[in-house]
Amino acid sequence: VARRKRRLRRYLGFGLLAVVLLAGGFVFHLDYRVRSEFEGRRFALPARIYARPLELHAGMRIARADVEAELRQLGYRELPREGEFGWFARRGERLEIAVRPFVFWDGPQGAKRLLVDFENGAVAALSDAAGQEVDLARLEPVPIGGIYPANNEDRVLVRLSQVPPHFVQALLAIEDRQFYAHRGFDPRAIARAVLSLASDKVQGGSTITQQLVKNFFLTPERTLRRKAIELVMAVLLEMHYDKNEILETYVNEIYLGQDRDRAIHGIGLAAQYYFHKDVEHLTLAESAMLVGMIKGPSYYDPYRQPARALERRNLVLRETRERNTITMEQYALARAAPLGVTKKSEMGTSPYPAFLALVHRQLRRDYDEADLRTEGLRIFTTLDPRVQMVAEQALTRRLAQFDKEKRFGAPGLEGAVVVTDPQSGEVQALIGGRDVRFRGYNRALDAARPVGSLLKPVIYLTALSESTRYTLVTPVDDSPFVWKSRGAPDWTPKNYDSRFHGMVPLRTALAQSYNVAAARLGTQLGLERVLDNVRRLGVERPMRPYASTLLGATEMTPIEVAQMYQTIASGGWRSPLRAIREVTTQEGKPLARYPLAVEQAFPPEPMYLLSSALQGVVREGTAQGLRQYLPPETPVAGKTGTTDEQRDAWFAGFTGDRLAVVWIGYDDNRAARLSGSTAALPVWGDMMAVLAPEPLTLPRPDKVELVWIDPESGLRGRGCPGAIELPFVQGSAPIDRAGCSGFEAAVESAAEAVDQAVGRAKSWLERIFGR
Amino acid sequence: MKFLVLLLAAALAGCATTDIMPFPDAAPETQPEPVPPLVTPAPDAPRENVAVARLMENARADTRAGRLAEAGASLERALRIEPRNPRLWHELARVRLAQGQFAQAENLAARSNSFVGSDSTLRSQNEQLIAEARAAGR
Repeated sequence: VARRKRRLRRYLGFGLLAVVLLAGGFVFHLDYRVRSEFEGRRFALPARIYARPLELHAGMRIARADVEAELRQLGYRELPREGEFGWFARRGERLEIAVRPFVFWDGPQGAKRLLVDFENGAVAALSDAAGQEVDLARLEPVPIGGIYPANNEDRVLVRLSQVPPHFVQALLAIEDRQFYAHRGFDPRAIARAVLSLASDKVQGGSTITQQLVKNFFLTPERTLRRKAIELVMAVLLEMHYDKNEILETYVNEIYLGQDRDRAIHGIGLAAQYYFHKDVEHLTLAESAMLVGMIKGPSYYDPYRQPARALERRNLVLRETRERNTITMEQYALARAAPLGVTKKSEMGTSPYPAFLALVHRQLRRDYDEADLRTEGLRIFTTLDPRVQMVAEQALTRRLAQFDKEKRFGAPGLEGAVVVTDPQSGEVQALIGGRDVRFRGYNRALDAARPVGSLLKPVIYLTALSESTRYTLVTPVDDSPFVWKSRGAPDWTPKNYDSRFHGMVPLRTALAQSYNVAAARLGTQLGLERVLDNVRRLGVERPMRPYASTLLGATEMTPIEVAQMYQTIASGGWRSPLRAIREVTTQEGKPLARYPLAVEQAFPPEPMYLLSSALQGVVREGTAQGLRQYLPPETPVAGKTGTTDEQRDAWFAGFTGDRLAVVWIGYDDNRAARLSGSTAALPVWGDMMAVLAPEPLTLPRPDKVELVWIDPESGLRGRGCPGAIELPFVQGSAPIDRAGCSGFEAAVESAAEAVDQAVGRAKSWLERIFGR
Repeated sequence: MKFLVLLLAAALAGCATTDIMPFPDAAPETQPEPVPPLVTPAPDAPRENVAVARLMENARADTRAGRLAEAGASLERALRIEPRNPRLWHELARVRLAQGQFAQAENLAARSNSFVGSDSTLRSQNEQLIAEARAAGR
């Protein structure tokens, strides 16, 4: 019996030892997890992307309403609040702005007060609070989205020292009163929670440490086993880390709401999302609202459930007051305050998904995808929110109108728009489809479509590069034409109006977009030469060397077309289209700049002639319709493009300060029965009419002279009725005078002779002085 | 009479070129050449813009301190305000030259020349810079 007892005891002992060992091993395992994961844990921080900052200076053409719109987008309030920034006030034609501080690529810029006077749609004067004149003021850039980790969690990290004390007081009062006293769990709170199970008001017994463990390491299932593990891990966490480390991690981790597909985590981002401010500046009332939301961010959503959120906030304030950490006065003031959330800007991961896709693509050349999603990089881009908005409105409105007129049924017409700065190649706006907020198929970047007549300018550019053979008035042949090539059927291009026009001046052939003349000229010049020039203009895509390519059978994306026309608009200077200016680390340390780069792709003379001819397209050709959108004194250049059976409608055009390309068509290649001039041009016109573009000014190259030409004969014709002044490369202008009659013509003829004599004398003098 | 005035003007222009020494920082702001009726004159050209002047000043200070990237950024900001200012293009070319980006320096100086109009001083400065960039890039 004694032996059996002893044996039993030994078994029991072994069993106990095994249990202890197992439990110890498990605890050891948990301890390892807590330490390695907590220490190794770095919050994944999405790359943050900003629009271009608005820069104001005296003389700048911008309406007060546009500055106000930008400020509203930045979350500025229309209400002066002394001692704070991030607001503006209107006083007649003066705008007072309390500019927030911001860390730019080139360093931090402090908060400041700015007074802006407007006059006739321009900034008349700029001064600071002391009345000192300010040369140049830069507002902070509008955040336009991010590149997020897979779970779409977004956060702005904060240090505990940045968090206002009243936030911590409110947090502890409502979530964990014993936080600084307990060792990870609070037996009294647990007892209260267990007791409350019987009642209908169930209380949570979790300490902040336990909540953190739950969010950090565990799945959301609610079982006793998981509760036990949570408790052990909480105790372990407390053993290794001090209270403030735990609290800091907690305030950065907590989930505080949902912005479409983006999850708002941590109070740093919550402060910005709900109040448009940095965490340091949260008031007691604002802090209490956020603390109140921890329990149920969607239940206490201040936008959809303001009454609930307010009630909950006031409960938090009361609990905080009960613990005597705030004075009665503070309490009363906070209770009386409204919720004060700023207007909700539904943005999700971005309101400009198409532009962001371009940014992302350009970033991926230089950065690791994982770094973009986790390192909190700050990306400063070229997007101009106003230009983007105007483009969106123009496209959306017109597409709706065309859909209604055509009644082709679903899916409806699609469109894409690219707007750039012709001098620098910066992309100011980009639209990838009619649903401008949609994150999917981006037609501006990925829809390669036949470009139609958009390629014709390259044929004429190739011709004009030979100034001894081609000028703007050189007759080109628009009579029936057959192109024979071995192994391919004969090609007989036709004109849009199904007629032939015989011999026409080169500039007219371009202005009227005659297919036959262009095809004949292109084949005469040589297909390879023309395609080579397309490449020199910046199009990298391979093109089939078929004659039909000349008339735009070749496919390009809207952004490629924009690149091609950018080189034309800048007078032959190719700049790669850019969407990014600068990249910094999260702290603002500069990482990279994407500088302005130019390369002379063509000599200035033929480019000047081509731009002049493209102005002719708008003045008297297929884009005459633009005249109803823009004041006649605003010269613009552009080209319409329409493909077979009107499947694609294009317009590419430029002014002094903007270049835009518009494409409209169906995704499934249905015939849209809309031409470049009836569909794409109105979108372009609507857009530019709002943007009030600067007139197109091109510096006239030294070797280009202006000569009055009689349009009838194509000869010199100063004073002739309807004479026009056209540019010619020196020595290429017609020598003979038109025989137009009239006294005026005779006088002008004499004047012309004098001018020529002066010119000769001048060049003789210049030779002497060696200029 | 008109003939005479023109003669005189041409003569003066010729003299001016030979007299002025190229001195990059003291060159006068240029008036653009009168533009033909086909294209109307740029609205931003005639009077000096204080914002542009300030940015140019900053760029020069940055260049002296060796902060070339910052200098380039300031000049690009200025060019967004006055994209047709040949002085800005020239200064940017100068910064790129100092950064050892010779091909860019050459292109930017040529770009400056495309806007230079009658400012022969700036033109010769650009030509000198192009020669320097070519020599250095070889």
